[in-house]
Amino acid sequence: MPSSTEESAPAQRAEASGWVERAKLWNRRLHYDIGLMTLFYVWLFSLSGLLLNHQWSFAEFWPDRPQSQVEREIGPPAHGSDLDQARDLMRQLGLRGEIEWTTTRAEATRFDFRVSRPGEILDVRADLARNRATVQRIGLNLWGVTRMLHSFTGVRMDDPRNGRDWVLTSIWALAMDGVAAGLILMVLSSLAMWFELRSKRFWGAIALAAGWLSCALFCVGLRWLF
Amino acid sequence: MAGQLHRWTRDLHLYGGLFISPFVLVFSVSVFFLVHAWLPKAREPSAKRVVADLALPSDLERLSGRELIDALQPVLAGIQAQGEVGWVQHRPREQRLILPVSVPGRLTTVTIDLQKRSATIEPRVTGLADALVTLHKSPGPHLVGLRMNWFYMRLWRWFADGTVYLTFLITASGLYLWYGLRAERRVGLILLAAGLCTFAAVVYALVH
Repeated sequence: MPSSTEESAPAQRAEASGWVERAKLWNRRLHYDIGLMTLFYVWLFSLSGLLLNHQWSFAEFWPDRPQSQVEREIGPPAHGSDLDQARDLMRQLGLRGEIEWTTTRAEATRFDFRVSRPGEILDVRADLARNRATVQRIGLNLWGVTRMLHSFTGVRMDDPRNGRDWVLTSIWALAMDGVAAGLILMVLSSLAMWFELRSKRFWGAIALAAGWLSCALFCVGLRWLF
Repeated sequence: MAGQLHRWTRDLHLYGGLFISPFVLVFSVSVFFLVHAWLPKAREPSAKRVVADLALPSDLERLSGRELIDALQPVLAGIQAQGEVGWVQHRPREQRLILPVSVPGRLTTVTIDLQKRSATIEPRVTGLADALVTLHKSPGPHLVGLRMNWFYMRLWRWFADGTVYLTFLITASGLYLWYGLRAERRVGLILLAAGLCTFAAVVYALVH
């Protein structure tokens, strides 16, 4: 009985005729290729997911985070929106990252915002009347970076003020979308590959049904039951 | 021996993959909502209902944090408002407790009047997309001392962890099975290298 993971000899491939056979071949290739392309992303998101869900002491990074503070002279920020002004101050201070609005601007002479990227959180407090800015830096270790990469999207469901404003955040968000789409395709291709294997259909159906039933319990079942 | 190992690995990859496939879909589909901070609008709250003569524990006002939630869970079960309890607001002047109680796909606000021993229950259906997002983010890093206070969410934690461990196992077995396919090795190596290079480049650029 051939299986989806057994060698496909060139002669067999040449014999593959008709669109069904070609579709099966491409489906199998799609499964391997997406799996290999996204492997490192999947490992990162799996590991960081575990780190987020468990407070393992070996992966602690917040209590011993290095912190420092510097005060620098700044020029008046360029005219424009808050985002334009923040970008201009970041250019003057030599900072890179995603801008986060953590406070509401109460005074015209005060301008506070946060710049973050995996590995570093910078709180910028600018006094525009004195032309001075204080930059408080929090550094994160490898565990902190790993955790931050999991949720570094530049946007928040509950805060519409924050949008993606750094090109690398957009690229990372695109990578997240790509990995998610890749995983969906892999699941679909695996179902087609499994169905080809007649001898595995019964136990495969049991495994699939067990997965779907337990997953459906959480997604929709609990709402009906309680 | 090698043939047996191959068969075992192949079966593990197949059956393990089929079992976790719906969980992988939950985590993958919810990524789009989380990355784009968008969710379909929740429905308007359903009609409120009021339950009187609550059997409240006598020491409720002295409790806080997880102890308070644990003491409230039987009360919630008694008024058919079970679920994962979030941050409880205690308003001593009004003698009220306000509890957000969530079940994936529904958020219920329960307001307990300690003096009148009554509860107002206001459920709001948030939908399937919100359920997926809730499950994706559970248990998560926040409210460590309070979270997972409902049996089914504790059960979900086991499934979420199991999905990750099985993912590691399935990717490792997938690598082994792919490497056995000589005809696919060259293209596979190129794609693996391409994936590694783009991953390393983006992470390096983000961090440095």
